[in-house]
Amino acid sequence: MFRTRICELLNIKYPILQGGMAWVATAELASAVSQAGGLGIIGAGNMPGELLREEIAKTRSLTDKPFGVNIMLLSDYVEEQMKVVLEERPAVITTGAGNPGPYLPVLKERGIKVIPVVASVSLAMRLERIGADALIAEGSESGGHIGEVSTMALVPQVVDAVSLPVIAAGGIADGRGFLAALALGAEGVQMGTRFVCSLECTAHPAYKQAIVKAKDRDTVVTGRSTGHPVRCLRNKLTRQFEELENQCAPPEELEELGRGKLRLAVVEGDVEYGSLMAGEISGLIKDIKPVKEIIEDILREAEELLGLLNSRFYKKGDE
Amino acid sequence: MDIAERVRSIIAERLNVNPEEITLETTFEDLGADSLDVMDLIMELEQEFDLEIPDEDAENIRTIEDTINYIRSRIQSQ
Repeated sequence: MFRTRICELLNIKYPILQGGMAWVATAELASAVSQAGGLGIIGAGNMPGELLREEIAKTRSLTDKPFGVNIMLLSDYVEEQMKVVLEERPAVITTGAGNPGPYLPVLKERGIKVIPVVASVSLAMRLERIGADALIAEGSESGGHIGEVSTMALVPQVVDAVSLPVIAAGGIADGRGFLAALALGAEGVQMGTRFVCSLECTAHPAYKQAIVKAKDRDTVVTGRSTGHPVRCLRNKLTRQFEELENQCAPPEELEELGRGKLRLAVVEGDVEYGSLMAGEISGLIKDIKPVKEIIEDILREAEELLGLLNSRFYKKGDE
Repeated sequence: MDIAERVRSIIAERLNVNPEEITLETTFEDLGADSLDVMDLIMELEQEFDLEIPDEDAENIRTIEDTINYIRSRIQSQ
């Protein structure tokens, strides 16, 4: 049994969070993860406020366990989404793509826990100072919008810089990754891609299959020149991005090409021209299974591995 | 070294530019710094001058001149 400060803080059984992926992380997925003992998170993405309110209500109808909402700070809907979460008061808010500083005091005032995603030590330290409850250190192995430092390097540096509990994200999909994250000093993990490939996830089957089929080198990062790099599975869309970037196209043109493409992949199942956001760990994911099984398999694997590491590689003393 | 010199040298070192390329009007953006780079820089200035610079203040610091004036006023008010 793995118990960490994250379990206490969030009142959850297992220190496993499900990433709040736009379009993918709906009430169905979030409630299944919370029901299974982790923390499910609704991805607010570019949802108008009222749609988010409906999604929160739906999640509540499916589970009485705590769950969260992820707010992507680059979204045009941030203000109305914040208004809705302040009224609806989900247990936790995670934030991505920026500094949630201005919203932190009012969220905390309403008793909502705030767990920002960070990709740098400086941001982690500044968010601890202004009252974040925990931090998600997300490495560049992740899918979707990413930072520049890998999980292996980022997590221990953030852990050393703050006293808050840290959740590792990026490149984790099984018990080995989970245990490795704890070894780096994290007290929990957040997984996205692994949960896309769950039965409860409402993403189009073609999108899930694309992840299952993917191999180690099948993801690519586009949009570095725009300042908002995104990791996706390679397809005809990423080729178009690469061509534009090779021609040094202006950032607006790249942003325009990306518009609506995540929905195209997740909802319509267009695996050729949609944006198949997925992490580097896609190659490790070989099946689509129930959320409960994903979580329980990880914990069982991690527990077995903990014993195995001790007996196979470690001997006391110098012999 | 006076405050202006210290600020200039920290910025030059952190962003890998020659101090001569930095004028008072130069912005962090001119030097190719993104928001995380600016945050690293702010943390370094905090350390160098033994200050805490809150986000609300950091947001208004865009040029080298802003930085120098801000540090100066904070140190004077101590």
